[in-house]
Amino acid sequence: MTRLKLKKTAIAGALGVACAVLLAGTATAGQFDGVTLRVGTWGGAWKGDQEAVIVPKFEALGGKIEFVTGSPQANLAKLIAGRGKAPFDIMEILDAQIGDFLKAKFLQPIDLSKIPNKADLEDWQYDTNKVGSWFTQETICYNQDKFRELGLARPTTYSDLANAKLKGRLSIPDITSGGGLANFGAFAYAGGGDEKNVQPGLKLINSLNALKFWSRGGEVVTQFQSGDVYAAVVHAGWCVRARKAGANVTTVHPVINDKYVGVHKHGWLGIMKSSKQIEAAHWYINQFIDEDFQFAFATRSGVVPVNKKAIARLAEDPVLKEMLQLAKADIDRQLRLDYTKADIGAWTDQWNRSVTKQ
Amino acid sequence: MSTVAQQLDKSVRDTGPPKRIGLPWGKIVHYLYCSLSYIFLLSPMIVVIGASFHGGEFYTAIKFPPDEPSLRWYTKIPQTQYEALGLSFLLAGSAALGACIIGIPAALGIVRGIIPGKALISSIFRAPLQIPSIVTGIAFLQLFYIVGDATGLYLQGTFAGLYIGHVFVATPYVVGTVTAVLQRFDTRLEEAALSLGASRMSAFFRVTLPVIMPGVYAGGLYAFMVSFGDVPISIFLTSPGFVTYPVELFYGMENDFDPSILASASLVIFFCLLALLGMQKLVGLDALLRSGSR
Repeated sequence: MTRLKLKKTAIAGALGVACAVLLAGTATAGQFDGVTLRVGTWGGAWKGDQEAVIVPKFEALGGKIEFVTGSPQANLAKLIAGRGKAPFDIMEILDAQIGDFLKAKFLQPIDLSKIPNKADLEDWQYDTNKVGSWFTQETICYNQDKFRELGLARPTTYSDLANAKLKGRLSIPDITSGGGLANFGAFAYAGGGDEKNVQPGLKLINSLNALKFWSRGGEVVTQFQSGDVYAAVVHAGWCVRARKAGANVTTVHPVINDKYVGVHKHGWLGIMKSSKQIEAAHWYINQFIDEDFQFAFATRSGVVPVNKKAIARLAEDPVLKEMLQLAKADIDRQLRLDYTKADIGAWTDQWNRSVTKQ
Repeated sequence: MSTVAQQLDKSVRDTGPPKRIGLPWGKIVHYLYCSLSYIFLLSPMIVVIGASFHGGEFYTAIKFPPDEPSLRWYTKIPQTQYEALGLSFLLAGSAALGACIIGIPAALGIVRGIIPGKALISSIFRAPLQIPSIVTGIAFLQLFYIVGDATGLYLQGTFAGLYIGHVFVATPYVVGTVTAVLQRFDTRLEEAALSLGASRMSAFFRVTLPVIMPGVYAGGLYAFMVSFGDVPISIFLTSPGFVTYPVELFYGMENDFDPSILASASLVIFFCLLALLGMQKLVGLDALLRSGSR
């Protein structure tokens, strides 16, 4: 009797577990049935990596992802034109834009409990408005062969580029380019100024003879390949690509002042206030900062992962190890501008008056 | 007399025309000028087509001349680029047609109409050319949101929305070319048709329209090209389902450089040249654009 009872209990228990597993499986498989999540991000390979890794996982859960391609600047313009009605649920945001997003109240709060992968991020890299997605290390990229030929020492500061031998052979980002604001701010700090006083930066830039200004990082790769430039201020990812394209280049993380070495530009993900796909948006952000995606994405695109485990894995690549600062202590010493203190309009105005009139 | 004439004639034949002394500088300058013009016009296309045959990794740089000639990137053109190309052809064709439907009557009204404020109306039809396209794009996006909020019909990110934006910028080209042809039009041709018993409609379709067709073709072609190549307006009005070819390429290059872009751009150049040659062979472009033809 007892044995029979036990047997019945065991069968019932097994059936219950099987049903639970089945139900749980069904629920997971169809978690996003009929959901279309729209993601505002860059096009090309940047989008391609997300399509290759994250999209199949989302589709396996029954959902569909559409990419609204465009730079964060273009997507912000769409948001403003649409009076906050975004044609996307999540979008990539640059650090310089965060203030505008908050002021215009374009973002909705993120429930951080739904982003378990945040545990692999530094504490400052997430809050209820945004979650860090990648960062770049803005460097001096220089052609080692040309510097040797010209008898120039390895540069360590921006001022080292103010050499007559580099006249017309130096490329720096235009203020309107992706790295423009971060590097302009870094020049300001290096010259003794800060976010509120960029004049020293302009003075420093003007001391670097006959510059070329790039607006897309890809231009720098072409310039290095063709031998047009011997040094450029650009993020390390482009320098890595120039090396892979055949130019013997390497990076220097410039000494900015006593406190900072190297420059840091951050990318973020935020959920739009008009989005109705809250669960899916959280899921996407969590996947974006997942170790495996971060590693694959960073290796291909040249940005630095925010996920600490992925950063550690980057050190396995000798070129990345050489060109990037991957130790926490080094990353912490990089200059991160506080754009809430900056008047970007005034920066641009001063740049246009001073730099382009050389 | 005849002997003297024959002798004179013979002496002229023997001497021939006066011989040139030195180099034919006029011809040299002429050929040089033409060659430089061709090089100027064709060199970007030569670089794009040449670089598209580079088989190695690009790492965001264009390699011309190619190191390792190959068709590698032609086999890697993503489906999205073909879809975008299809949309662009459809959109540009429709926009050109729409521009003609609006532009021809507008030109007729401007040239023939007895209406007050003709100069103002003419300026209004040219206004889209004075507005920077990026502003037009933002303006249409805002307009579509306002209309959507009021009616529930949101046109942003739809074919209809793109079509309206493109017709807006394409129409002035048709108005301009048709107006120019109409101003040179000899109205006595119409009067002759009317006096021979043709109705106004018949006179328009059988006399006026054939004469102004070169202006319509030229305007339509401009309209097609403006629409096909547009980026600033389309950036604001496209959506994941409706991305035009130039916008797809623009976004493909903005952050990174996908070499398949060169391959697909080369295909577009090739097919456009083929289409032009085909039209020239079958119809004759010069005949299409010649006043009063067909």
